[in-house]
Amino acid sequence: MSTYVYGIARGEVTDLGDRLLGIGDPPLPVRALNEGDLAAIVSDCPPELKPRRRDLLAHQHVLAEVSDSHPVLPMRFGSVSSSDEDVRGVLAEHADRYHDQLNRLTDRVEYNVKAVHDENAVLHHVLAEEPELRAMAEANRAAGGGTYEERVRFGELVAGAVRAREVRDAKLVEEALAPAAEEVRPGPESGGWFLSLSLLLGKDAADPLLTAAADLEKTHPWLKLRVNGPLPPYSFVES
Amino acid sequence: MTTVVPAQQSRGGGGTSGLYDVLELILDRGLVIDAFVRVSLVGIEILKIDVRIVVASVDTYLRFAEACNRLDLESGPNKSPGLPEVVEGITENGARSKTKGALSGAGETVSKAAQSVADAIRPAEEDEEEPRRRRPARKAAPKKSEESA
Repeated sequence: MSTYVYGIARGEVTDLGDRLLGIGDPPLPVRALNEGDLAAIVSDCPPELKPRRRDLLAHQHVLAEVSDSHPVLPMRFGSVSSSDEDVRGVLAEHADRYHDQLNRLTDRVEYNVKAVHDENAVLHHVLAEEPELRAMAEANRAAGGGTYEERVRFGELVAGAVRAREVRDAKLVEEALAPAAEEVRPGPESGGWFLSLSLLLGKDAADPLLTAAADLEKTHPWLKLRVNGPLPPYSFVES
Repeated sequence: MTTVVPAQQSRGGGGTSGLYDVLELILDRGLVIDAFVRVSLVGIEILKIDVRIVVASVDTYLRFAEACNRLDLESGPNKSPGLPEVVEGITENGARSKTKGALSGAGETVSKAAQSVADAIRPAEEDEEEPRRRRPARKAAPKKSEESA
């Protein structure tokens, strides 16, 4: 039976009992493998591990629960070892490295911020900023929308202007939020937003970030920010 | 867009959230230890889809042109451009409903991306769990995402 690893905690973890359930269907009980002053938070690995919604949430939930009482280094989803003994061996071998990281991340949480544009608001903004585009828009409207080619050409120019606005706003958001964080890292590249930013904060120190985000939305109505947290410091562990 | 709130969110004060917003972190960040195997997660590559590709399409250009055509250009842009008041003015000038609908622009792109993420996750789930309960959500999924998945 292989062993699924959720994270590495500092201190002896003894109190998991049967109350904490992890991945799998039915959910598998989570246990701690104590080695020195470290504990690997693990469960058995289900026969077929897939990134199911439920399992992703379980991974997240286990880390959240354990981090209430212990500093934890979150593992990436899907980390599997061949046996409990092997996991203990890894803890023993790299104990210093994990302790260094745990010290750095004690009482720290990650917040992730994603920025998108309110489309109509940003289009309006772009047309207001660029008289040429505005003139084209007015000409097209006067011509009942313009020909297909005119509309494609115009739309392409607008898309370019929106993209330029995204670049500027990404910088703007980062500059506005970074002072609220101890450390900032770019989120993984993915789609659906023009900026994903992960911020490392003290455990109960999110207010300045939330305030800065709210202020930014107020002063830049075309910006929509989605703030997620507190999360285990996924983006701030060093592999 | 389907929103699954991770258990943890209910205790944080961090605003609304969904699994999709933290998914990439769980899958893409976090400690990797060489001695451990990382299970190959089929379908995850789709998370990497660059929405720019979608944005740089004729469909998008036409949609932008259309949206610009609908905008009320008279309600503010003659003021000095680039200031927030321009847009705020619009909102207050009764174009509120339009601005609201606007979320279907940027928002649409977002939910489409989220949908492809959902589809990346869902097929794995559908293999063996609750096919009946999934059906309504499935129906709402844009056909395109399914085809490209």
